[in-house]
Amino acid sequence: MASSSSRGLTFKLHPLVIVNISDHYTRVKSQLNLPPSLTSTSSAATSNNNNNNSNGGENNQQKPPRVYGCVIGVQRGRTVEIFNSFELIYDPSTRSLDRSFLEKKQELYKKVFPHFYVLGWYSTGSDAQESDMHFHKALMDINESPLYVLLNPAINPAQKDLPVTIYESELHVIDGVPQLIFVRSSYTIETVEAERISVDHVAHLKPSGGSAATQLAAQLTGIHSAIKMLNSRIRVVHQYLVGMQKGDIPCESSLLRQVSSLLRRLPAIESEKFQDDLLMEYNDTLLITYLAMFTNCSSTMNELVDKFNTAYDRHSRRGGRTAFI
Amino acid sequence: MNSVEGLLTQIRGLSSTASDVLSLQNVLKQADESLHAESTRLLPFLDQLDPSKHSLGYLYFLEACTAGPVTTESASSFVLIIARFISSCVAEQIRLAPDKFISVCKRFKDQVLLLEEPLRGVAPMLTAVRKLQSSTEHLTTLHPEFLLLCLLAKCYKTGLSILEEDIFEVDQPRDLYLYCYYGGMICIGQKCFRKALELLHNVVTAPMSTINAIAVEAYKKYILVSLIHHGQLSTSLPKYASGVAQRNLKSLCLSYMELANSYNNGKIADLETYVQANMEKFGSDNNLGLVKQVVSSIYKRNIQRLTQTYLTLSLQDIANTVQLNSPKEAEMHVLQMIQDGEIYATINQKDGMVRFVEDPELYKTCEMIEHIDLSIQRLMTLSNKLTVMDELISCDPLYLGKAGRERQRFDFDDFDSVPQRFNI
Repeated sequence: MASSSSRGLTFKLHPLVIVNISDHYTRVKSQLNLPPSLTSTSSAATSNNNNNNSNGGENNQQKPPRVYGCVIGVQRGRTVEIFNSFELIYDPSTRSLDRSFLEKKQELYKKVFPHFYVLGWYSTGSDAQESDMHFHKALMDINESPLYVLLNPAINPAQKDLPVTIYESELHVIDGVPQLIFVRSSYTIETVEAERISVDHVAHLKPSGGSAATQLAAQLTGIHSAIKMLNSRIRVVHQYLVGMQKGDIPCESSLLRQVSSLLRRLPAIESEKFQDDLLMEYNDTLLITYLAMFTNCSSTMNELVDKFNTAYDRHSRRGGRTAFI
Repeated sequence: MNSVEGLLTQIRGLSSTASDVLSLQNVLKQADESLHAESTRLLPFLDQLDPSKHSLGYLYFLEACTAGPVTTESASSFVLIIARFISSCVAEQIRLAPDKFISVCKRFKDQVLLLEEPLRGVAPMLTAVRKLQSSTEHLTTLHPEFLLLCLLAKCYKTGLSILEEDIFEVDQPRDLYLYCYYGGMICIGQKCFRKALELLHNVVTAPMSTINAIAVEAYKKYILVSLIHHGQLSTSLPKYASGVAQRNLKSLCLSYMELANSYNNGKIADLETYVQANMEKFGSDNNLGLVKQVVSSIYKRNIQRLTQTYLTLSLQDIANTVQLNSPKEAEMHVLQMIQDGEIYATINQKDGMVRFVEDPELYKTCEMIEHIDLSIQRLMTLSNKLTVMDELISCDPLYLGKAGRERQRFDFDDFDSVPQRFNI
């Protein structure tokens, strides 16, 4: 089922979809780890959960739960762009798809995103399976040629690519019987600015659960080294220019032209409103630094005073308890 | 006389290099007794020494000369000699014998006061302070003497220049108390109430094992200056004040605390009657001038309270609320406060309305950036110093002993013997 598609459609996948699918899977999987007595009472009454619970109950941890959902997006000409996704309730054993839920969800999404259509569905697993074809066919009455987005949740540190594959269905004649089979398609990742920021943020989270302090420190260290490098490079250019002025180094007009064009690029904007805003923001940052220094200093002073009082005050008012032996 | 002659030749010979000077110092220390014995006859010998080259030797001789009681006749000649010596001596040499230098300067101060010309002593004393201190952060015993001379000579500006420096090292606690007390008085004289408050605060919260009179007087002035500058007095001393001060100071300054209480009520008439009643008490403490300033500042305080309630107010209403006699007076007060930067307001003279506005500082200018940048750098140096001091005190055996004792012990199994003393 893994032959590549010859259809010629280009697929663009947004990171939001990937995050959604992985979030759905993680949530379901972590909810499964609760003891069975708690899950039935504490979890919300979604049959999706109960379905997966029954699956999980039979299979323990051997087979991870599969999650299902729909992907929505826009198709313009030969380009299919998948923007978003939502979860669905589907029981593969009974092959029952909750149609009313699907329709309600479609309506809701139509209100917010009028241009988006249901493009296909997603699931998790390592490879596309025969049983998936049923779901695929079930969706065919909404979209005549749905997509199948498959996420492989197994964490493989050696793997470099994303564990996401997009399948299309093609009608092939096998053994004289026309059958629908899945064929793999290539895709690219497309991001909007907001998505780039959030993906960046998620990517910087260290797997050891780095606290906000280490993240901030890592970011600031990066900025610091960048500024340091910029500073040293500017110094080199400056020294070179000074040498040229003094006459130690032969004058080279092409280099001079380059330097002058570089300098003319700054400042980018020169207006009073810009100056105003720049100064205000600069002042704000300085004030915050000042405040941080103040807090730091006050806390050191406080500790020093406490220690001094403990050491030297003859009748210090000891707030702590004395030994009670 | 032979020994003195011999000493003179030695001084002249051994004053060139640093190592020579050290050996000279030993010689002088041994000869100190004999010098003191001959003190009355040493004066002519001083001319044979050059203070700029033989500072150490000159210092010993001078100290022996001036060790006796001060008389009016000798005072004028000595003043000239000492002043010349101070201006021409070499700082490194006199720092080898700081206590001798200090006693010479103290004699100098006594003589100047005896002649009732403190102004003559101000400049030489300033030079002496600068030569004695190892760095600008060092407080010597000469600092309070200098400030005393400034106070008596009424040249406050010179005193202020010394007060600008931050002090981090102190030789003797009494120096600190006197320095801050005199400094506070100088600042009050110059009307820099903020700095005066800071200095007096230092005296009141300085570590002291027993209550001393300087702290009591300083606390009285502190109360008055706090009322003038802030309009209120914080009733409890901060926690870094010594326990002794916290327990005793208030009871020793009762009448001033009463003054602060009646000030807080805001009624001018009550305040004035109280002041009248205790006039002699304030006068005996030499605080009458300050008390009068307190009374005049209560109008300012009341006007400031008005800014928190009203946006616009007529001058007549201000005069009525603050109990002034006429709108004209109210206008004068408000105008003065606007000029001093204590409130932000505009006076519309046509209809006699005052409109209170907000602080117009927008924090958008380059000067503000520089100002904040400087403050941040100052804070960074201070923070470094504090960290160093924190580490020092964490290693102090006195602290470790007491901290160890306070550790909680949960049960017998947990009871490991906490070291009370560290014998290394």
